[in-house]
This record gives sequence, structure tokens and C-alpha cells, in this order.
Amino acid sequence: MTLADMIEIATNLIVWLALGCFIVVAARNAIALVQLLVAGWVFLTRVSPGEGASDLWHRYADLTLPISVIAPAYNEELSIVQSTKALLALEYPEHEVIVVNDGSKDDTLGELVRSFDMYETQRTQIAVLQTTRIRGTYRSRRYPNLLVVDKENGRKADAANAGIGFARTPLVCIIDADSIIEPDGLLRAAEPFMYDDNRLVAVGGAIRIANGCTIRGGSLQKIGIAKEMVPRFQIVEYLRAFLMNRVANAHTNTLMLISGAFGLFRRSTLVEMGGYRHDTVGEDLELVVRLHRYMRDNKRDYRISFVPDIVCWTEAPAALRGLDNQRARWQQGALETLQRHRGMIGNPRYGRIGLLAMPQIVLEDVLGPPAELIGYLVLPAAALLGLIDPMMAVAFFFVSVVFGCALSVGTLVLEEQQLRRTPTARDLIRIGIAAVVENFGYRQVNLWYRLSGFRRFFRNDTTWAAVPRMGFGPN
Amino acid sequence: MSVYHDIVLGTSICALAICMVFMVLVLRRYLAELNRARRDERDTQITRNYLQRVAGQKVDVSTNWGRNTRRAAISRILPLLRGGERTRLLQIAELDGVLAETLRKSHGVYRKERIDAIHLLQRFGSEVCIARLRELMARDGNLKVRLEAAFALAANDALPPPRETLRLIRAMERQPTRLDIALLRSTAPLYPEQMILLLDDDLPDRWRVHLIDAIGWSGDMSVIGILEQAASHSNPEIRGAALRASARLGHPGAAQWVVAALVDPVISVRLQAISASVRLGLRSAIPQLSQLTGDPELWVKLRAEQAIEELTPTERNGAIGEVRT
Repeated sequence: MTLADMIEIATNLIVWLALGCFIVVAARNAIALVQLLVAGWVFLTRVSPGEGASDLWHRYADLTLPISVIAPAYNEELSIVQSTKALLALEYPEHEVIVVNDGSKDDTLGELVRSFDMYETQRTQIAVLQTTRIRGTYRSRRYPNLLVVDKENGRKADAANAGIGFARTPLVCIIDADSIIEPDGLLRAAEPFMYDDNRLVAVGGAIRIANGCTIRGGSLQKIGIAKEMVPRFQIVEYLRAFLMNRVANAHTNTLMLISGAFGLFRRSTLVEMGGYRHDTVGEDLELVVRLHRYMRDNKRDYRISFVPDIVCWTEAPAALRGLDNQRARWQQGALETLQRHRGMIGNPRYGRIGLLAMPQIVLEDVLGPPAELIGYLVLPAAALLGLIDPMMAVAFFFVSVVFGCALSVGTLVLEEQQLRRTPTARDLIRIGIAAVVENFGYRQVNLWYRLSGFRRFFRNDTTWAAVPRMGFGPN
Repeated sequence: MSVYHDIVLGTSICALAICMVFMVLVLRRYLAELNRARRDERDTQITRNYLQRVAGQKVDVSTNWGRNTRRAAISRILPLLRGGERTRLLQIAELDGVLAETLRKSHGVYRKERIDAIHLLQRFGSEVCIARLRELMARDGNLKVRLEAAFALAANDALPPPRETLRLIRAMERQPTRLDIALLRSTAPLYPEQMILLLDDDLPDRWRVHLIDAIGWSGDMSVIGILEQAASHSNPEIRGAALRASARLGHPGAAQWVVAALVDPVISVRLQAISASVRLGLRSAIPQLSQLTGDPELWVKLRAEQAIEELTPTERNGAIGEVRT
């Protein structure tokens, strides 16, 4: 093989690589555009919850399905009492709060026992789904609907499984201990069950970033926008994920993710499935994918719904340090889920999940990040070397960056038109600026973090580093 | 022009259009914030004006307030008024033609538009509103709209008789939802006799169950005999519904068959019987409940333990004076 041959092969390789990257990025954005349009249609035609229905619901409160709110807690001694009080105060006819102390090294359990006047009890566990030992269960003398389960440490999935095992209600709501649930969040999330004909198995809800908000006593007092840019970028990301992606996917019955920060499930279905898996870092995605698989394998008619109203607020990493670990973990979790359920990808047996939703995850989580990052390097280089039409590099920039801005601003349009939870016009402008600026640096850094998730996946890295958070202060 | 030029152009136009829409929305919000004080002042004036008119005072009615603004103000005042004052306000609202736009929208082409109108009509609940809601429930081509109209009528205690309600919401063609059950329950106190007559119809059991459940909400103690019959029905779901209804009715005559149902061979019926025992405060059922703590079914065992705890008087639970023996 001569040098000329080698150069020609390399040239062809670069051209094909550039074309491949372009196609992948364009396909991702084309799907996102379709999702934006579908979400727009859903919001346009969405009937807001009627007072007639909610009046009946309140009048016949026994028709609402009782819910167990399961809050796994690990080293939360500073905030657990306030968080638990906020959970107990949620508006819902019948709900139980199950706090699972996941082997905290601090005084989380002690704080709970003292603050809620708790005593040890022998509560029967309906289903044993956890892999670690239960040390004890505690009930409160003052709050009959509070149960604390103390167990050995085993991560969030294990703690949630322990809670599911102790729940006695038809529905379970799995949250993070630091999730701030809207006072009527449970009511809103449970509403689809009122119209349900026994097919509904899970409901997800929109989650927003709490950084910059005023939080007191574990409850949201005032909505605000963080001063730092990183949380603002994440507000845009969350809006894109929840108002565009999930609304559209739920509309087409292809919802593949219910966030770990807030998810409402039928307890019996979770128990049948064995609860969350312990051997993945992306247990929330894996659970929903497995739920689809389980229901379809067993030929059961089912539905997974999504409530576009904000049901929960969560604290996001305030700086890039912390975000890196979170994003790498999300990426690793997605790859682990795809590997475990690879048999579903493109498989007509799983209907639209196999043919549409799973390939979309492949495009979004396997091909997308490297293609975009490589594209940023290869396309300009190939254009400069005269290997491709320079307009192709310009078009790549437009498809990835300019179109990315448009999609982000588009979700802001949806938010302002439908939910209007951004406090002021000034805040809207701030988020609008973040929606544009995030495409110049933040987006690329994020892609890099996701690539490190690939590295962790191939190394089979199972370490779990907590995401550093600022907290909401002693109040 | 190459395909790449087209992509750049298309992307630019799309991005520009979206950004312009966003800017319009920001401007709308900004103007709304700017005018907030003036708007609040106007709303206060409208509210004061209507309250004065309700009180029979002579006020200037020739102000230039839009119908929607006035409708919003009345919506805010309505929940604060009762009896004659409320009726008077509704009459004034109708005289002012405040609901004209809403009534027009209730004939709209889009489902969302009609349902939004239904929500407003329900809030006002005047005779005109109820008449239009009945019309929507009876004639609208969309089932969702009919159901919303039914919910609105139920909220105003103005549902048609149960047979008619079931026909209009096409109940027999689908599985009942929890809101259907709520509709039936809200019909029961209005038409208890018709509910009982309906049971003679050839109904699918999945609906019969909910009819029996609803009878418990009628508040009519004479239905106890019907419930007794249902409590020995061959379908366990109907037996369970009869127990639920009896517990709701709170008739002491139900105690005998509630206790008997504690040994029913079907788990769900035993569970309903346990709940009914608690609801009726049947301390006499404690021996049978104690036996159920050894039931092979875990749920029965757990609920029986819970029931005993609730029926057994303790220092804390304060149920001592409430239970019936």
C-alpha cells in the first residue's frame, strides 16, 4: 500500500466520519423538533383539570387510591425532620410516609425518633425486595401515617425496595429525601388514576430546579432563579427534558424514564417485577424500561402516564464540579440499561417501545454524544483541509448549536404559555439568555462528561460519589 | 444552492421564528407586570360595584369594563356569597350578559374550548348554566365533553336520573372509572328510588357493583333490605360492594351479615368485611377478627390486626365512646 493509498483511505474515512456525525446530530435534532411540535400540540389541546372532577374527587375521597410516599434517606440529619414534616403535610386524602434510613452514618435515625416521638414496632414486611438487613421499624405516637424503616446501607435502589416492601397502599410514590414536593403534587400526579380503567401502572411528573428558590421547613416558599449560570443551564435542560421530551413520549405511549426524584407506581406491579435493580447506577431508567418489557412479555394491557404540571423541585449541582459525576452516572446508567435490554432494540415484539423508543435511546445516549463531540472537531478540520464542502461544516454548526438554541427557547415558550411558573419577565429573559449561552461551552462540556460515563461503563465502575449540593440552609 | 444552504436557511428561519414568539411572550409578561397595579385597582372597583348592586344600592353600571374582566371578578366573589345574595349576583351577571361569551364558547368547534366553557358554567351554576350543561351532556358528540358536563352537573347536584346519566355517558360500552363511581354516588341521594329500580335492569356486573356501592351514599335507610340481598349474591364483587355500602349507610341492621362475611371464602370480601366492621364500630366482631389474625392470606391478617387495634379502646385512640357493641 502506497502513501497515496493510505492518504486516500484516511481522506475517505474522515469524510465518512464527518457525514456520519452530521447525520446523527441532524437526526437527533429532527426527533427533538418533532417532540417539540407534539408537546406543543399536547399543551394546545390539553384540558386543564376540571373543578367538577376535582369536586367529586374531594367529595368521595375514599375513591382516591391511598399512596405510600417512600423517601430513602442517607446522612440527612440536618434536613430530614423538615423534609418529613413537609411530606406529612402533603394534600392528599390518605397517604403514609415511609422514611427509609439507609444505614446513615450520622444521626438521621435519632433525629427522626426524637422529633416525631417514635417507638420501635414490629411492622410486617409484605415483600422482601431489598438485599440488606432491616434493623428495625419505628412508628410515631403523634403521626399515625409515619413509618421509619432502619436498614443497613445499600444505596437508593435498595432503600426504595425496602420501602416498597413495607408499603400497604395500592400506589407508591418514590422520591429522593431532598425532593421538595409541591403541596398538591400527589393529588396532581394521582389524578390520571381517577380516569383510569385499571391499565395505568405508573405516572411521572415534571421536576424543576430549586436552586435560587426560597425553601423553608422543607417547603417551597418562593420561586426564584439561581445567580450562578450552571443551575440556570440546568433549568433549561430540565424544561427541555420534561416539557418537550417526556410530554411527547407520554403522548405516544413511549415514556421510557420516570425520574428518581418523583415517580408514582402501582405497588403490586413493582412487587411482581422485583422492584428496582441493585446492580445499576441508572435504576430509574432501568425500572421503566423493564416495566415496559415485563408488561409486554406478559401480554398485559398497560399505560404509563406523565403529568406536565410541576410536582417536585430538586436541588441541582451549583457548579461544574458535581455535575461531572452526575452526568457521567446518568450516561453509564443509560448504557447499562441498553446493554441489559438490548433484546428489545428494534424488536417488533415490543411494538413501539422496541421499534421507536429504544432506538431513540440508542441515538440519544450511545451515538449522539460522541458523534456531536467528534463532529465539532472533524467537520471544521475536514473543511479546512478541503475534504468537504465548507458549507457542510457551517450547516453542522447550525444544526447542532443554532438549532439547539431554538429548541431550548421553544420549551421556554411552552413553559410561559402553559405553566407560567417563572416568577417575572426579567427571570424569563435570564433563562432565555441561559438557553442561548448553554450551547456555547456548557453543552460541549456536558458531552465530555457523558463520554466519561462511557469510560465508567466499559470499566464496569460501580463507585457512587454523592453529588455535592449547597443545601437550602438551616431553615 | 446546496442542501447545506437549505439546512442553514431552514434552521435560521426556525430559530428566528421561535425566538420572536419568545420575545412576544416576554413582552406580554412585562406589560402585565407593568399594569398590575392598575389592573388590581380596576378589579377592586368591579368587585365593589357588584357587591353594592347585590346589596341593592344604586350604582353607575355604564362603566367600560370588558365582559371577561367582569366575569373574572364575579367568579371571585361567588364563593363568598350564599343564599339570596348569591342568586341575586347570578341574576345581575345574566342581566349584564357576562356569560354570553362563555355560552358561545360552549358551542365552539374545539373540545378544549367547550370544556373550558363547561368549567365556567359549573362555577356560576345559574339556571341558564345548568340548562346548557344538561344540553352538552345530552347532545355533545364528544364523550369527554359529556363527561365533563356530567361532573359539572354533579357538582351542582343537578344530574339527570341514573338511567339517563348512564346512557348519556355511554357507561355500558366501557369499563367504569373512579370518576364514574363518584358520579353514581352523587346521583344516589337525588334519586334513591330510581337507583333501586335500575338494579332490576339487565346490567353487566361490573356496573351493578358500583350501583350497589352508590346506594350506600343515598342516605336512605330503607335500602338496607336490598343491601342484605346483595350481601349474599354469588358474585364476590357485589358482596363486597354491599358491605361497603352498608358501612357507609351506618345502619346497625347490617352488623349481622357484616360479621358473617368475615368468614367469606373470598379474600376481597373478607377484607371488605373487616373495613365495614371498623366503620360500623362493631366491637362484637373482635372475636371473629382475632380468628382472622391467623388467616393464611397476609393482607387479611394485617387488616384484621389493624382493625382490632382500632376497635380496642385505648388511652390514645379516643374511640371508646364511638364504637357500637
